[in-house]
Amino acid sequence: MDNHPEGCGGGAKRPLWPLILLVVAFASSALFAQYQKKPPDFGGIYSFPTPTHPEPRGIVLLSLDVAMLAVGLGLGAYFVLKRRSRNATLLLSIAAIAYFGFYRKGCTCPIGSIQNVTLSLVDPHYLISPGVIAFFLLPLIAALLFGRVFCGGVCPLGTVQDLVLLRPMNVPRKLDRVLRWIPFVYLAVVIFFAGWGLPTVTSSGKEIVLRRFLICEWDPFIGIFRLSGPFHMLAIGAGFLMVGMFYGRPYCRWLCPYGGLLSILSRVAWKNVTVTPDKETYCGMCADACPYGAIHDYNADRATCVSCARCYECCPREIVRLRREGIPAKRYVSVPGGRGPA
Amino acid sequence: MSETNTRRKFIDTTCRIIGFAALGGVGAVLTTRASAHAVFQVDPLKCTSCDLCRTSCVLSLSAVKAVNEFSKCGYCMLCPAYMDVTSAPNEKGVPSGKVCPQDALKRRVVGKEDLDDPNNNYYEYSVDEPKCTGCGKCIKACKPPFGNGSLRLEIRYDRCVTCNECSILIACPEEAIVRVPAPGLSPLLTQGETANG
Repeated sequence: MDNHPEGCGGGAKRPLWPLILLVVAFASSALFAQYQKKPPDFGGIYSFPTPTHPEPRGIVLLSLDVAMLAVGLGLGAYFVLKRRSRNATLLLSIAAIAYFGFYRKGCTCPIGSIQNVTLSLVDPHYLISPGVIAFFLLPLIAALLFGRVFCGGVCPLGTVQDLVLLRPMNVPRKLDRVLRWIPFVYLAVVIFFAGWGLPTVTSSGKEIVLRRFLICEWDPFIGIFRLSGPFHMLAIGAGFLMVGMFYGRPYCRWLCPYGGLLSILSRVAWKNVTVTPDKETYCGMCADACPYGAIHDYNADRATCVSCARCYECCPREIVRLRREGIPAKRYVSVPGGRGPA
Repeated sequence: MSETNTRRKFIDTTCRIIGFAALGGVGAVLTTRASAHAVFQVDPLKCTSCDLCRTSCVLSLSAVKAVNEFSKCGYCMLCPAYMDVTSAPNEKGVPSGKVCPQDALKRRVVGKEDLDDPNNNYYEYSVDEPKCTGCGKCIKACKPPFGNGSLRLEIRYDRCVTCNECSILIACPEEAIVRVPAPGLSPLLTQGETANG
């Protein structure tokens, strides 16, 4: 309007454009009126329904997840360190698969929370929920106190591999030692991609920083818990389970970045698995029974022991203790590949 | 207890205390940044209903569904989102084809039905959610100027498994999937007028 000075001053030569605009506006409104309709007035016979919006998980249910995790960790520590019972640990792990795996469909999990925590530390505007913080911290605290009880009985990813372990075989010590570094490399890559990411140019030419949650994208077991998923996830999951039938917990030992964190902290755990309840007999059956190669020099290595409680079952001194205390002692458990009595 | 054992114990205890302090520090920093639970949602202003919501969700049947905002709907007989307006008309002059490949958009007559001339009827359109795949064909057809724009795509939280990283968000070329605190849902959902996530 301002760029038509002659329209205001002269008066003789009026610009045509407002008229044209008016005509176009009328024409287009007439055109639109053909298609667009206002909601009709139904009088009293009809009231407009409001579309339903299913609520996301409420605060109570989110707190329940954290409570279940805390209870699971407590029970895990109790079953492994106090009760020294493989069966109880097994039951706990099945419950964990049912709740954190199939019911919660694998989210939230402490493994993935590494990425949220990294991103929150890098970018203060990132929304991080208190539940995720609790899921990140609780298993680490438990590791400082009782070792990797999270891995043993609570983590659905770990316990699902534990369940498929049918015929444990040993990995050469040297190879194992090399493979154990992969989690730390993976952890570094994961932290980099979650916190900083790679700058990329989108198809529309826009420059963006692509932060990715690699753990979640390549999670091998979440597709199994959801009973659906992208092909690469399901294929990797099936692969890990297949390898896991012979080599115990391949994901936990050689890939899981959270397992890497836990192994650092559990090195100085306050309490940890002590195989023999009293006197060392140097029989070495526990080392044969351990599918994870975590027993060296007749002691459970705090960094690698995942608190599965398998070693107790084949410890002769443990059987003696149980008999003495009047608890019906189980048979020696023969471990394939081991030399324990059948 | 031997000297090495004592030393070992001392180192363990010291490291454990350092560990607790480190965890406490991280926990304290994180707690100051903690916010409400966050959820993913579709920004209807950015969404172009490109079909990636159907294909990129980790669920085999996507958590994204079409939703009809009834108060914006025209209740038209000749709904461009319901029927394929380019298909051959039937004996009453109504296009015979449907837009939805799953036949998930249903309609029912409001009030008394005029059987002779369907043009006199008003129809209530609703989405059959178990059938809807979130392909967005109806949303495209309902866009102005030919439609009222009452249909839109929405992430349904009864189906969404709230992945840590939404795979639709990664796939979306329009950045139309936004992560918002859970209580802040309503403005975007009911009005569709604010695009700030």
